[in-house]
Amino acid sequence: MFLIVVVSYILSIPFDTQPSPEVQKAFDYIENLPESSVILFSFDHEASSLPEIKPITLALLRHAFRSKAKVVGLSLFAEGTAIGYRMMTKAADEFGLKYGRDYVFLGFKPQHISAILGIGESITRVFPEDYLGNKTDTIPIMRGINNYDDIDMVITIADGDRPAQWIEYGGARYNQQIMAGLTAAMITSYDPYLASGQLYAVVGGLKGAAEYENLYGKRGGGNRGMLAQTSAHFYVIALIIIGNIIYFRGRKQQGRG
Amino acid sequence: MQTRIPLLVCLISGVIMFAQYFSSLPIAKSIYENILEWWQIIFAFTLFVGVAAFIKTNLKSISQKKETPYRTISLIGLFLMPILALIGGTKIDSPFLWAFENMQAPMQATVFSLLAFFVASASYRGFRARSISASILLVTALIVLIGRVPIAELISESFPKIGFWIQNYPSMSARRAILIGIGLGSMTTALRVILGIERTYLRGN
Repeated sequence: MFLIVVVSYILSIPFDTQPSPEVQKAFDYIENLPESSVILFSFDHEASSLPEIKPITLALLRHAFRSKAKVVGLSLFAEGTAIGYRMMTKAADEFGLKYGRDYVFLGFKPQHISAILGIGESITRVFPEDYLGNKTDTIPIMRGINNYDDIDMVITIADGDRPAQWIEYGGARYNQQIMAGLTAAMITSYDPYLASGQLYAVVGGLKGAAEYENLYGKRGGGNRGMLAQTSAHFYVIALIIIGNIIYFRGRKQQGRG
Repeated sequence: MQTRIPLLVCLISGVIMFAQYFSSLPIAKSIYENILEWWQIIFAFTLFVGVAAFIKTNLKSISQKKETPYRTISLIGLFLMPILALIGGTKIDSPFLWAFENMQAPMQATVFSLLAFFVASASYRGFRARSISASILLVTALIVLIGRVPIAELISESFPKIGFWIQNYPSMSARRAILIGIGLGSMTTALRVILGIERTYLRGN
């Protein structure tokens, strides 16, 4: 498995992936956003899922910045704080954007449910200061952003159950539109929310990231990981088939004995 | 008295939170905002309790000479990160962010990636067509596995479509049933806690 993944990463053969309806929907939403629309990115993940989360996040952030959206970042998972800040800064620097004017990072807030509910009342009350210690109400980008009424879309980047809480509290109580960037293992957990419309769209796993990168027009970590993921999947399939052949041969031999 | 006061606090809090949801009075909004702030403050204090418990457990193990090197590394990590953040801040190129990105993140990703080896091992040992239901699960898993990679479209256009169908109909039906069950269970438990029927949070009284 280790060798297969390493060799696949070194080879890095490009794949043409057809965008899934959910990824296309996410892309179209950001593509058609009016200038200065507000997108709130919530980095709700651990460092362990970074290899999968990073390509999704960068693809979405780059697209949001290219669409001239105002981006507000925060984290409801302590480990997502440093990662979120780093990725926002990296993506913003590519477009020459200025912190505080074009984007801001509010940092981490413990007790995610009260934070999600609190943003619905007053975002500056939940985050009196940003990640760098500036007073939130003095930051230029935050003027006019008070609660969910002023936020067009919340994008939660997650590897666990935080999107469910965004949907149940931010979506159900304040009618906030929610989109999610998820690890592949979590996609099926959110299918019911996606089908019901409670979740607007999902960019899921490396495949979702690769599809989004292709739509955006810049290949990145998602496309680089596609061959490795494909190889690993086929390796697992081969192991299942070999395991079953051995099992049936053993049974046949036991039958003869 | 030891039981009655917490039960009363729980009942009053529950009833207030329930009532404020349906009220448009300014006082209800004010109470709600204050409760949200209190909630965060109380939660922040529980983090201190967690840190204290972590230190206590590790120090106890060190004094008993159990897994001393690992426990020591854990404690060093616990104190090192806040010290780095206090000294150099948490901005880009700070020692804190360097330690996080170059030590913590790779270590966690390494541990998480070990899952791939378990998956590979489990697929070889456990995924066998021992019965009809196991065979159905096996075939479903194979179709979904193939359907989730871009090369599936080259093998057959049916693979992603069948994978999509499995995900959106049989799998989603089961998940919806589970979610509805969880929702009903949560409501019932909340009512039991508010009314004082469920008391297991009071040391099982």
